[in-house]
Amino acid sequence: MNTWVKVVRYHLVDRFTFVGYPWAILAFVFLINLAIFASVAPPASQHGQSYSGALAAIYIVFGIVGSRAVSSRLPFALALGVSRRSFYTGTALLAAGLAAANALALTVLQIIERATGGWGMRLHFFRVPFLLAGPWYLTLPTSFVALAVMFAWGMWFGLIYQRWNLAGLTAFVAAQITVVTIALVIAFQAHIWPGVGRFFTVLSIGGLTGALAVLAMLLLAGGYATIRRVAV
Amino acid sequence: MTPAISVTGLTRRYGDELALDDVTFDIEPGSITGLLGRNGAGKTTLMRILAGHEFASGGSMAVLGDCPLENEPVLRRMVFVREDQHYPDYGRPNLFRVRHALQMASWFYPNWDAELATELLDDFALPAKRAVKGLSRGMRSALGIVIGLAARAEVTLFDEPYAGLDAVARQVFYDRLLDNYAEHPRTVLISTHLIDEAAGLLERVLVIDRGKLMVDAAADDLRGSVIRVTGPAIAVAEFTAGRTVWNRRRIVSQESVVMAGPLDEAARARAGALHLTLEPLTLQQFVVQAAGPAAAGARERTSA
Repeated sequence: MNTWVKVVRYHLVDRFTFVGYPWAILAFVFLINLAIFASVAPPASQHGQSYSGALAAIYIVFGIVGSRAVSSRLPFALALGVSRRSFYTGTALLAAGLAAANALALTVLQIIERATGGWGMRLHFFRVPFLLAGPWYLTLPTSFVALAVMFAWGMWFGLIYQRWNLAGLTAFVAAQITVVTIALVIAFQAHIWPGVGRFFTVLSIGGLTGALAVLAMLLLAGGYATIRRVAV
Repeated sequence: MTPAISVTGLTRRYGDELALDDVTFDIEPGSITGLLGRNGAGKTTLMRILAGHEFASGGSMAVLGDCPLENEPVLRRMVFVREDQHYPDYGRPNLFRVRHALQMASWFYPNWDAELATELLDDFALPAKRAVKGLSRGMRSALGIVIGLAARAEVTLFDEPYAGLDAVARQVFYDRLLDNYAEHPRTVLISTHLIDEAAGLLERVLVIDRGKLMVDAAADDLRGSVIRVTGPAIAVAEFTAGRTVWNRRRIVSQESVVMAGPLDEAARARAGALHLTLEPLTLQQFVVQAAGPAAAGARERTSA
C-alpha cells in the first residue's frame, strides 16, 4: 500500500473529527435555523425569502479540522517513520477527499432545499446569494474549492503553531492582515479602486472558484514550506 | 561494512547553548550500544536528530548508509521510541486506544511482528482496548517498548524506554530484548539512567556530557579500566603517582582515589604490600566519574 494512502488511513481512524464533528455542528446549526425561521415571518423586503448564511459554520469547522489534522497527528506519524513530505501529501489527499464528499453532500442538500421550497418555509440555508446560488454543477466545484481552501488554511495555521508557537501564530495573522492592508492601500493610492470594484461586479462565480483554487494551491505550498521546518 | 549509524561532527545549537558539540562516532550493525549521560547531556537531542525529528545545526549523519532525514526507505528500516512520545489527540479523550497505536505501527513497519506485539501486551498487562490518554507513565513506556520491539526494525533507538516501569516489567523488557535480538539481530541504541541494570546488555558504551562525546568504548574494555584505590593517604599518593586520577576524596589520613586502569600483576602486588583496597568501578560509577561535576576538572589533572 502506498504511504500516502496509509497516511489517509492513519487519519481516518479518527472518523469523529473528520466526519462526525463537522456534520454534527452543521446539523445543530441547521436545526437552530429551522426553529428560528419557523417562528419568525420572513421580512417582506426580501420577497418573502429567508436568508441564513449559517452554512459558514461547516467552512469554519473545516479550518479547525485542518489545523487539528496536522498539529496533534504529526509527532506520532514521524515516530512511525513517515516523512514530513508523505505526511503532508497524505493529509492533503485526505483534505481533497473530504472536501469532495462534503461538497457533494452540500450540493445534494441544496437540491433538496430547492425541491422542498426551502424546507417548506422558504429558507435559504444551503443556498447563499451569489456564492452558492447557481445550479448543482456550479455549487459542487465552488463548495469543493472553498472547503479545500479552509482545510489548507487551517493546516498552515496548525503547522505555524507547531513550529513557532503562539508568537508565530500572532505574526502569521499579522502578516496576513498586512498583506491585505497593503493591497487595499495600493488600490486606493493608484486610483485603481473603481477598476477593482468593476472586477468584482463582473466576476462570475466560476471566476471566483478559479481564484479560490489558486488560493488553495498557495496555502498548500505555504504549509509544505512550513512542515519541512517543524521539529517534534 | 557500512556502519549502521555514522555520525560526523554533529552539532546542534539552541541560541548560544550547544546541545550537541561536534559529536563523531560509528556504530557497527548488530550491536547493542548504551547512550549514557546526565539529564540534559544531549542524548534525546542526538536520537531525535538521528530519527529525523529534529534538525542538526552542523555535521553529517548516516543511518544504514544514507541520511535518514525525510528519507523514507531509511526511515522504514528504523524505529525511535521516545520517552516523551506525543500520541494523536482525538476529538474525544477515549477514542485513541492502545490497539490503534499498534495497528498504525503495523501499517508502516514492513517487518511488524503482530504475534510478538500481542505477547508483549500480555507480559506488560497492557490492555489493547485501554485509551492511550488514560495510561500511567509506566504503561505509556510499555506501549513504546511494544512498538519498538515488534517493529523489528534494523536500527532501533530507545530513548529512556522504561521511565516509570516497575522492576518486573523492566526485567521483561531486558529478557524480551535479548531473546528477540538473538532471533533477529539488529542495531540497538538505548539511552538509560538505570545503568547498572542495563550494563549486562551493552556491548558498547557512549557517554556524552554537555553535548560532548566523552567516552566511546567497548563495554568489556571499560570493566576494570577505572579503579577505586582506598587506603592511607601517603600510600595512595605513592601508588597513584604518574597515573590519571579522576576523583580524590580524603577523610583524615585515609584517602580514596579513582584512577585509570588497568593494573598489571606487579601493580596489584604493590597495592597489597601498601595495604590498599582495590575496587573496579561498575559501569554506573564509571559514568558518574566520566560525566559527573568532578570530571571536567579532574580529566586534565594528573597526579604528580
